[in-house]
Amino acid sequence: MNIQTPVRLSAAEEALVSQLESTGATDAAERLRVIGLPTRRVESYHYTDLKTLLSAVPPLARQGAGAGAPAIDIPGAYRIVIANGEVQNTGTAPNGVIVSKVAGATLTTRDDVLVRLNAALVPESVSIELAGDVETVVHIDRRMEGEAAHVHSGAKIAFAPGSKATVIETVSGSDAGHMGNAGSYVSVGENAEVTHILVDLSASQATHFASLEYRLSAGAKFKSVVINAGADLARAQIFAEFTGEGAHGDFYGLNLVNDGQHKDITLDVTHGVAHTTSTELYKQIARGRGKAVFQGRINVAQDAQKTDAKMMMQGLMLSDEAEILTKPELEIFADDVVCGHGATCGDLDESWLFYLMSRGISRTDAETMLIRAFLEEVVEAVGEEHVIEALGGVVEGWLGKAG
Amino acid sequence: MKYGAASGPETKMTTPLLEIRNLHVRVEDNEILKGVNLTIDRGQVHAIMGRNGSGKSTLSYVLAGKEDYEVTEGEVLLDGENLLEMEPDERAAAGVFLAFQYPIEIPGVATLTFLKAAMNAQRKARGEGELSTPEFMKAIKDASGLLDIKQDMLRRPLNVGFSGGEKKRAEILQMALLQPKLAILDETDSGLDIDALKVVSEGVNRLRSDDRAMLVITHYQRLLNHIVPDVVHVFSNGRVVETGGKELALELEAKGYADFDESHAA
Repeated sequence: MNIQTPVRLSAAEEALVSQLESTGATDAAERLRVIGLPTRRVESYHYTDLKTLLSAVPPLARQGAGAGAPAIDIPGAYRIVIANGEVQNTGTAPNGVIVSKVAGATLTTRDDVLVRLNAALVPESVSIELAGDVETVVHIDRRMEGEAAHVHSGAKIAFAPGSKATVIETVSGSDAGHMGNAGSYVSVGENAEVTHILVDLSASQATHFASLEYRLSAGAKFKSVVINAGADLARAQIFAEFTGEGAHGDFYGLNLVNDGQHKDITLDVTHGVAHTTSTELYKQIARGRGKAVFQGRINVAQDAQKTDAKMMMQGLMLSDEAEILTKPELEIFADDVVCGHGATCGDLDESWLFYLMSRGISRTDAETMLIRAFLEEVVEAVGEEHVIEALGGVVEGWLGKAG
Repeated sequence: MKYGAASGPETKMTTPLLEIRNLHVRVEDNEILKGVNLTIDRGQVHAIMGRNGSGKSTLSYVLAGKEDYEVTEGEVLLDGENLLEMEPDERAAAGVFLAFQYPIEIPGVATLTFLKAAMNAQRKARGEGELSTPEFMKAIKDASGLLDIKQDMLRRPLNVGFSGGEKKRAEILQMALLQPKLAILDETDSGLDIDALKVVSEGVNRLRSDDRAMLVITHYQRLLNHIVPDVVHVFSNGRVVETGGKELALELEAKGYADFDESHAA
């Protein structure tokens, strides 16, 4: 990343630079002008070469957009809408939940173009504090509405020590070539039991980027689920850090990739202290000429003894042209740890299909049964009944789309 | 009340249910079946006996429509219709059922979900509507009770973690629910202790009827004490080398396969 000679800027890069300048983010603009968008030579973007993939950038979103019906409706959930980056109704929050607006973005500074864009261009963020046993599911409904727009949104979610809660975020909106950039900073207090879910359901012609930052305190029990089921070009970045002993995290994700789409989940988990454990399970499925990317990196700090981390990627290719790319990385500085990773990739098992068909089930139905079974493991991991049902609907929606 | 009773087009009484004529099958470069001839009428139970590797299981897979087998010669007619042209699901709809020697474990697919999908698929193929949940549950309860299958087992993923005996009982449960015209039982006795063998055999015997035929594949005579066949065929080196009544199984048990291999070596 130390290329200091100014690069020849693409149209997309020019547009991004001028958007940054128009909002006074001159440092970020200058940085982008110098290094450009990441190419495959940048390790963390090796499979998602933004310079090549981003051909155009829509104009910055205007505020005041109205929002339609939610993309998924979770019965009994408390919903907060962020339309084109603007935090809308915050209504009456349920017991144990405090909602407010904060100016600007919420992500911690890091050397990443998507994080820098989010930090510079988010107008305001929603701040949600959750305490105690919050039975109501909190739904952050991020919308990209109206004409194609470059939309930045931010959220800061703080789970108090000992709290129990489920927060789901969805990204959806009008049928246009939007480009979204969503950021969430999530802190999980000591001994809190928390689930955080992010689902991209934006229009297929859209591009969507998300950056999630998790801080996990001592004794926390945390679950993260990320599902890419919308935009043609999507990348979700997850930066998780264990900051207190005894914390456990289960990280799940699905890349549901249709013909011609490119979806990326990039995970970076840091076990920064001793006695923390994690599991990572990411599943990818690709049809037609779809491309699915998973990069999973686990960092174990020198003092993080007794870390136990197990990472798994499972891929299912439904055509000869589909591509599934996976790159696990373990960087371990402590000497008393258990860290493992594995990956499987293939098409549907012919002997399974034959067994189902030998009972009269058609090939198409048998395939659907097996794909659903493959994906359900992640959906069921969510635990909360209404959310499982809603995510089951997302999977069914994807299954129902023609290849 | 019968669920999934198979019914095909009107056929003359003279047409056998299954007719295998000069069937040659190869897998990659090996010819496994070398001219099998076999005719089974409705209501009959035929047994095929033969040592391991004689091609018995290949025959069962070819009848059920598994890929990887290349038919190079011969034909198979079910009710006078060309079975070999049908996809496995079409064969099932036409009334063919294979009880697998090694039932496949499918994680993530609940057994009940699978059973309902299978029953409804066959109903659909016959132009009937889907079963209601109460109808389905009653059918399951009746059939599983007779086979000593616990409801808990049916909620587990299909065959996953089932014991050998549970897997075989689950196969017979499927057969009872789907009511095939032609049931092929591939080494159904393997991996069963004597009690389980009894339960499974009784399950099979309950399904014997005038409009259903069975093809029982085994290499032990033991199973045939419980499921008594009308006709016994001895299989060797990819073809039928001897056909007789149920006493042939006893003769085979006493003499061993070697006698048949020698006397019929090509």
